[in-house]
Amino acid sequence: MLQRKKNYLLPAAGATVLVLAFPFLANAFGYTYAITLACYVQLYFIAVSGYDVLFGYCGQINMGLAGFYAIGAYGSAILNEYCNIPIILSMIIASVASCVVGAILAYPCGKLQFHFLTLATIAFGNIINQILSHSPGGITGNFNGMYTQRPSLFGFDMTSTTSYYFFGLVCVIIFAVIKYHVVHSKLGRAFSAIRDNVKAADGMGINVRLYKVIAFAICALFTGFAGSMYAHLVGFISPDTFTQKQSVLFLTMLIFGGTTSFGGSLIGVVALMLVTESIRTLTGYQTLIYGVIIILVVILLPKGVFGELIGLKNRFAKKNRKHSGEVV
Amino acid sequence: MLKFVTLFISATILGCTYGLISLSYSLIYKSSGMMAFVNPDLMTWGAFLGFTFYTLMGLPYPIAVLLTCVVMFCMGFAIQKGVVRNLIKRNVTPMYITLTMFAMGYILQNLSQLIFGSVPRKFDSIIPGLKIQLAGIQVQPEAIICVGVSLLIMALLQFFMNKTKLGTAMRAASMDPMAAESVGVDVSLISGLSWGLSTTVIAAAGILCGPIYSVSMVLGANLGAKAFAGAVLGGYGNMIGAIIGGLAMGFIETFVSGYISSDYKSLIAYIVLILFLFVKPTGIMNERAIQDV
Repeated sequence: MLQRKKNYLLPAAGATVLVLAFPFLANAFGYTYAITLACYVQLYFIAVSGYDVLFGYCGQINMGLAGFYAIGAYGSAILNEYCNIPIILSMIIASVASCVVGAILAYPCGKLQFHFLTLATIAFGNIINQILSHSPGGITGNFNGMYTQRPSLFGFDMTSTTSYYFFGLVCVIIFAVIKYHVVHSKLGRAFSAIRDNVKAADGMGINVRLYKVIAFAICALFTGFAGSMYAHLVGFISPDTFTQKQSVLFLTMLIFGGTTSFGGSLIGVVALMLVTESIRTLTGYQTLIYGVIIILVVILLPKGVFGELIGLKNRFAKKNRKHSGEVV
Repeated sequence: MLKFVTLFISATILGCTYGLISLSYSLIYKSSGMMAFVNPDLMTWGAFLGFTFYTLMGLPYPIAVLLTCVVMFCMGFAIQKGVVRNLIKRNVTPMYITLTMFAMGYILQNLSQLIFGSVPRKFDSIIPGLKIQLAGIQVQPEAIICVGVSLLIMALLQFFMNKTKLGTAMRAASMDPMAAESVGVDVSLISGLSWGLSTTVIAAAGILCGPIYSVSMVLGANLGAKAFAGAVLGGYGNMIGAIIGGLAMGFIETFVSGYISSDYKSLIAYIVLILFLFVKPTGIMNERAIQDV
């Protein structure tokens, strides 16, 4: 056991150094845009991790993720713009608001079956989008969108993308710890029970409705925070971002990488970001390529890249053990 | 009063279009228990094919409609056989099938943009020079055709599903595939036919409303998303419910935008959808309960 832990130490240290040195390396080589992309990876990772709790662990679908993403983004921007609340605080308030909305939505959603849950969440996402583009009094700027500012913390200004990257890194670690503790607790086990068999879970005394609400709320919290990070990263938000396509993008990231793992979420986010960036120049073909990728993933990689890798590794290990004559 | 009559007429046209779209959703839900998220984009294709046959190739309108329906029937059949059936065979979770539907929708939408361009197209007038007065209001002849043919399709489908052998086989195959198989129904073929029928209905909706609204790549996406509200309102999977729900949605949307504000017409459709799902998921027609634990 001790031997195995030692094996992981070196790559882990290497990865840490790489992550910390990344913005400086990128700056040194002149790829400053790469830092912005890395910030996108961070916030998408948070959103996809949250979705993993809901979809991967609890087996519930949410196609209205863009709605929560929008609540986080617009909530934080509006609180900062009209109420002069410091940005970090406004981000937290906005993501808590998103969490509350998630819980309120989840309560009646809890009784709906898969397809109708899909439909209800799609409707929710569209409602939020409609409210953003036809807001009362035009506080969201409607179709013109809103401008946002970069946060500053204790006088430490985050106007440069490099400093925002480190801020994002801290957020990623906090949310990863939250997710780890959620899924490795009574909560996580209840979620898995609901995913595998709702009736059995109910029979075992798990309050299915309550746990579904909790899973939805966690997902909404993560996504809302990711949305507020997005708002203050790009500096401009408009309803065009928060459409059905964004929700499908999150789902594709999750499924591409593989559910119920950190590695899967990371691989999915990075891979989809790279794809989106590389087809940016192919105007007119973007959604086509995107659709083809989704179909290929569904047909070729039903467990996601990370899941398939783990499967391969396990098969390999089994073979080796067989060869050395161990009892499998 | 004049405003009311005008709104009433446009509500009927929109309602009939929604009714056809909801009907195609119901057909797929009845035949394979799935949500047809790809159908809205198939509707765009129906409208564009009709536009090609009628305006670009100059065929007579009825023949253009028939040709479109035949092509779209084959397309629906091919989608079921090529994609959906394969996925079911692989025993994937419903999630993947839903995602594939969205992906196919994206592909179809983008292809239609690449082929037909992103500029909205306008149909040539079907009966040039004809002017119809209805209660003192000028009505496009296309609108009368749209309403008439929609009602005819709805009636025919109702007859087909309930009174013919093939329709009964379709209902049986969806209700209990194994039992249907054991009494000699070719379930695989029948579900392909159901998909074909469903895409035909939605393509007909596209080509019928095409001459009234202009045809663009988002025609189906805009109408289709709101038609889900109609389908749920009537009771998802119920054929008569789909028609009633579609008509009701047409009226709600038109009158809200006429008397309150056109800003809220999409919002109200989604609110109706979500309210019905939460409060009365079985819809007006009390279709089979769709609830979890």
